[in-house]
Amino acid sequence: MSTAIADRLRGVFVEALELPADVDVENLKYRDIEQWDSLGHMTLVAAIEDEFGVQLDTEQVIDMSSFKVALDMLQSMGVEG
Amino acid sequence: MSTDLVAAGARLIDAATGEELAGAALTTAIDATAASLAELPTGAVFARTGISTAAVLRYLGCWAAHRPVALLDPALDPATLAEMVRRFAPAAVVGLDEGGAGAQAGDTPPGYERRDVGPLGPAWVRTGGEPAASPHPDLGVMLATSGSTGSPKLVRLSRTAITSNAAAIAQVLHIDGDEVAPTSLPLFYSYGMSVLNSHLVSGATVVVVDGGVLAREFWQAFDRYSATSLAGVPYNYEMLARIRWSPAKHPSLRTLTQAGGRLRNEMILAYHEKISALGGRFYVMWGQTEAGPRMSTLPADQLPQRVGSPGLALPGGTLSVRLDDGSETREPGVTGEIVYRGPNVMMGYADTAADLSRGDDQGGVLYTGDLGYLDDEGFLYLTGRLKRIGKVFGIRVNLDDIEKLVGQAGVDGVGPVAAVPAGDKVVLWCEGTVDADRRAEVAKLLAERMKLHRSGFDVRDIDRLPLLSNGKIDYRTLEARS
Repeated sequence: MSTAIADRLRGVFVEALELPADVDVENLKYRDIEQWDSLGHMTLVAAIEDEFGVQLDTEQVIDMSSFKVALDMLQSMGVEG
Repeated sequence: MSTDLVAAGARLIDAATGEELAGAALTTAIDATAASLAELPTGAVFARTGISTAAVLRYLGCWAAHRPVALLDPALDPATLAEMVRRFAPAAVVGLDEGGAGAQAGDTPPGYERRDVGPLGPAWVRTGGEPAASPHPDLGVMLATSGSTGSPKLVRLSRTAITSNAAAIAQVLHIDGDEVAPTSLPLFYSYGMSVLNSHLVSGATVVVVDGGVLAREFWQAFDRYSATSLAGVPYNYEMLARIRWSPAKHPSLRTLTQAGGRLRNEMILAYHEKISALGGRFYVMWGQTEAGPRMSTLPADQLPQRVGSPGLALPGGTLSVRLDDGSETREPGVTGEIVYRGPNVMMGYADTAADLSRGDDQGGVLYTGDLGYLDDEGFLYLTGRLKRIGKVFGIRVNLDDIEKLVGQAGVDGVGPVAAVPAGDKVVLWCEGTVDADRRAEVAKLLAERMKLHRSGFDVRDIDRLPLLSNGKIDYRTLEARS
């Protein structure tokens, strides 16, 4: 189940941040690459909300500093793959 | 204290390490940086400036040593940085390690060697010849012009401009020694720099924290050090609204400031209500890098009744409205180009090393290019940007629109064009070789579309449209030839 979420989340990251093919999405951290700046972060948040039908609160948006954190967050919210 | 920019009581807190610099320790750190500047050849210093305590100390060290310093974006493309180094021949480029993984300085430019310069850290130091003239003694800080493609110009700010603007901002925002400001904006950006300056000059605290308002570290530091204010551009406030951020979560927060463009009125009112309910204040402000940067502030108690106004001229400054005939007025409700006068107006721009030795070209006057009017109590209202206007037989025509019109019409053999006013007509310069028939066709097109006589449009060709160093068309040169 979690693998399915991870796959979908990876797709959201690649699309929302317009990532080049060679980017190691699983180990990505906020502001590590130019695509994931504050503007990218807002796009990403909106895309995650759309894809998983959730609404992220202020703390979650601010905490979402890596792919792994985002994945854990979605799983803890009970999102199913 | 070692400098007039850093008052007694001023404090720097490095959020990453928790280290605090104040009093004698701060003075010692600034003096050490200033002392290491003595090892460098003469001339201005380029400082790649991220958000770090080291970057702040390099800036303050340059200030203390009376060494003019350009605060530069560490994410500046290496080719652009190299090109600027060629043009301005700085004594050194410091802060080579600024900006993190995504921001590389590039290769050491010709005529420079890379070495560690004491507390200044890794730097490119000039080994080649000195520029012919040394920077003007009044010159304090240089900031790159933003937004344009190509080669940035530098805005030359005098030491007086910096200190007077910092003091005036502190006065209108009531910044005292108890204030604690986090670095929410880049320090190479004039607004971010002014937050730093206005707090240091007031003996207040600056929390040096990288990451911006969407980063966990930022808000952790904000709360840990009981920050009292937050500075943001419209985009920051839009983002914070989007994520339903609330000032109530941060009990130490008392002041929100906004500049850097126009925030929607409903957004201004929403933030005003939120922060007022907590006993705090929301300040809307207006500035330009060319004014170091602040020119006006809306006193918080003037909201909500004056929503949309960026307020009154800063203490020591005046606002007026320039009309088409060149005259100026403060008559309420009359729209024109806003003119600012004050001690914080830049000395001028610089395109080359030689320009850095120039004195004051502006005389304290800044034609802002912003259109607006004053109300009967001197509050400013902005309505847009000044357009380039020409006249054809007394009829006002927008020169940018003319260029756009020709571009969109796509006349065969006609590439880039530039329209400039010439007496009672408009001269349209076409780049490349354009034969007489084509030129006539363009004139006819303009006459038809603008519903004006075709003799009002003088279409000529030119090998190359002259460009300014910022990549924009050099209209002044074209006007002189027209």
